[in-house]
Amino acid sequence: MQTEARTRRPVPAPVRIIALAAAYSAGLIVLLAVTFAMLRIPVPMALKQLWVGAVGSADEGHLYAISSTLVEMAPLMLAALSVCIAWRAGLFSIGAQGQILMGALAATATARIASAAPIPAPLITFMMLVTGVAAGAAWGALAGLMRVKRGVQEVISTIMLNYTALHIVSWLVLGPLRARGAYRTESDSLPDGILFARLIPSAWSDHIQTSLHAGVLLALFVCPLVYIYMFRTSAGFQLRVLGANDEAARTAHYPADRLKISAMALSGGVAALGGVIQLLGSATGSLSAASFSGNTGFTAIPAALLGGLHPAGAFVTSLFFAGLTQGCRNLEQNTGVSSVVIYVVQAAAVLAVVGIRAFRQRSETEAS
Amino acid sequence: MNVAHGNPGITGDIRTADIPAVRMQGITKNFGANRALNNVDFSVCRGEIHALLGENGAGKSTLMHVLTGLTAPDAGTIEINGYTARITSPAISRRLGIAMVHQHFALAPALTVAENLALDIPCPPSSGISKCLNYSPLREAGSALSCAADLGWKMDPHARVSSLSVGEQQRIEIVKALATDADVLIFDEPTAVLIGDEISELFEVLRKLADRGKAIVLIAHKLSEILAVSSRVTVLRRGERIAEAHTQHVTAVELASWMVGDAAEVASRPFSADLENSSQCPPPELICDADNITVLGNRGETAIHGLQLQAKAGEIFGIGGVDGNGQTELAEALVGLRKVSAGSLTINAKRTGYIPQDRRRAGLAVSMSVSDNLLFDAALLQEYKRGPFLKVRSLLELSADLIDKFDIRTSSAKAPASALSGGNQQKIVVARALLGDPDFLVAVNPTRGLDIGAARFVHEQLIAARARGAAVVVISTDLDELAAISDHTSILAGGTLLPYTAGKTRSSELGLLLGGVAGKRESSDAN
Repeated sequence: MQTEARTRRPVPAPVRIIALAAAYSAGLIVLLAVTFAMLRIPVPMALKQLWVGAVGSADEGHLYAISSTLVEMAPLMLAALSVCIAWRAGLFSIGAQGQILMGALAATATARIASAAPIPAPLITFMMLVTGVAAGAAWGALAGLMRVKRGVQEVISTIMLNYTALHIVSWLVLGPLRARGAYRTESDSLPDGILFARLIPSAWSDHIQTSLHAGVLLALFVCPLVYIYMFRTSAGFQLRVLGANDEAARTAHYPADRLKISAMALSGGVAALGGVIQLLGSATGSLSAASFSGNTGFTAIPAALLGGLHPAGAFVTSLFFAGLTQGCRNLEQNTGVSSVVIYVVQAAAVLAVVGIRAFRQRSETEAS
Repeated sequence: MNVAHGNPGITGDIRTADIPAVRMQGITKNFGANRALNNVDFSVCRGEIHALLGENGAGKSTLMHVLTGLTAPDAGTIEINGYTARITSPAISRRLGIAMVHQHFALAPALTVAENLALDIPCPPSSGISKCLNYSPLREAGSALSCAADLGWKMDPHARVSSLSVGEQQRIEIVKALATDADVLIFDEPTAVLIGDEISELFEVLRKLADRGKAIVLIAHKLSEILAVSSRVTVLRRGERIAEAHTQHVTAVELASWMVGDAAEVASRPFSADLENSSQCPPPELICDADNITVLGNRGETAIHGLQLQAKAGEIFGIGGVDGNGQTELAEALVGLRKVSAGSLTINAKRTGYIPQDRRRAGLAVSMSVSDNLLFDAALLQEYKRGPFLKVRSLLELSADLIDKFDIRTSSAKAPASALSGGNQQKIVVARALLGDPDFLVAVNPTRGLDIGAARFVHEQLIAARARGAAVVVISTDLDELAAISDHTSILAGGTLLPYTAGKTRSSELGLLLGGVAGKRESSDAN
């Protein structure tokens, strides 16, 4: 019986995780339908509005809606991947939002400095990506360092660093980085050469400019990289052992402190990449505290959790969440149903998942 | 199978003059494809100590979890005092007078004895707000403390649990069970954590409780203990009841053969002879030389002081002693996990293997798969890496090999380690420590909580490492274990090694050496 069980091929982890994430997402839709029904909003109409918002309709075409959803997804997915890395290492980082801001800020500063010199635009884009990621990594590593050297709980330090980052951005776009000759509190608009290229020719979409940009591809490219790092490298393996039982990792002579700091740095870098991509994918490329005060970094946490802290799962759930956000905008515009309803349901779904987890863990230990 | 009577495993006439306190019939439980219990009958009467014997994973714990309401059986009936009972939750089991003293204590170390006892006493729902505001743990624990006094235990209700020895913590667990007015007491491997006198003291208490009319179930591995204390014994193997017998009618060899299914395997101490034969090695090379070392504990206290230790290639150096005398600190210093704050420690080994004391805390990541747990060390080896990447396929082959070689019983390599029994979990730790043929091996309580088969296997592995020319340091509270496998022995007491030659002295006399330590311990407890 045992050999039989051993030779039975288990379902590969990515497939299982994607299935799980998809199941959770489907459950969320059921929850939404029930909520709409309870609030006496016509369910088919509301769901259709969500659907049209996320992927478009036959009359209006699909390209615009789908591009918007993917553009919405890119930073969210990167933030969710960042959460996966940190949480898998046993570090409950809440700092993705601050890291996104620091990434965008460093990129903006780089653009400001580099544009004074005769540097070709693509190189400036590249420099912005590098400095942005480096700044996010440093911001993350700071929390890791405080954890390792001083025992500061990363939950608290990362939350505080979020505020710090937000206020640094506010101050810089009011002062040194403020757009020259403008009254707005935002940084310079960037020339089109620096911004990410739009991928879909407007001829394909009835001459409406779609927002899908090269940065989305970059984000999609990072997702498998994170998977390879976590599940195919020695460092990623050590990171997962550390997260599962740090005492066991220490006993196995893993460099626990260094792993923690590097996990935080990596997590910060990935989140910050999302910030730079959001900046370079926007219409003007100007940074303001307001344009980056969304809650991508926080939504990323439920997205990562629903995705089983696995890159494949994070991809599915952030795609779903992004579609939901776009759908909400559509619903709100056309029917006046507040998008708050959706967020309430999202939060309830996360609580449900946490409950299911606890239940499953209980039945697993019962078997021992 | 050498069973005396024709009816397999049922020897003698089990008298059922009075109605048993617990009668379980036809209990069956499946975990997925794994049949944990198959049609098992079990009963225990008032005034008897009924031992439940079996290898790890034989289903002993599962059977008792069924009785205590932690696990729902797939089939079977339970009668309590002759009445059919449906035990669907631990609360019901408790109301029926069944209490379990777990192997892993459920105590809050930061709280005092009285507070821990009071935690377990339900507050009557009628108790008003005045009682809530006027809550006194000492008063709540009063009845429990008098139970302790009844048994002749002196318990300081104000002592912090973290400051107590393991044996004393176990007493609190026992008192907790008694305080619920339980008639049926289940002890899950109570001696696994005890040594020397503590064990015989526990047995006296068990007898006393049985004399007072309690029905006692004793889950155990050690045959000598079962023979010493129980009146009846039931043997389980792979979820089947193999035998039930009056203890006075059976011998250790019979019990062991029922348990592991092969009488030939169970010679009690097979190693001493091997040791004599294999000692003509080349002149032993010094692998580990600790000269006058001092090691600090986690709170900065001196755990090891002025310790001398020399471990040579091809030798097993056994270190006995009571837990909490610096065992963990010494082991961690030897394997390089803890700094030596004074003296010099030279380790002349290419690879060091380590079997830590507490597998769940330091040895395993139980939420990860069995395969991942086997690869903690391999993941660091150049052999299994290509640049920063892991050679996933060869690692999977390695873990499959280890699962085979160490007979780790798991439904799949991908199953979480938490799903394994304690013995199989320990095999993972041992397999990992022996990976890459270490020339220096440090093992702390390597067979704690293991059954005969698994313990024997671990001993064989240690002996094999020794035969290969490794220096092996075994730190264990099981003095018989040390006497059986070590070339040299010492006692670790108060942070230093006391010279002692095993083999020349019987283990009872070794106990006298420990007595000095035990005396110190008692006097410090009195404060």
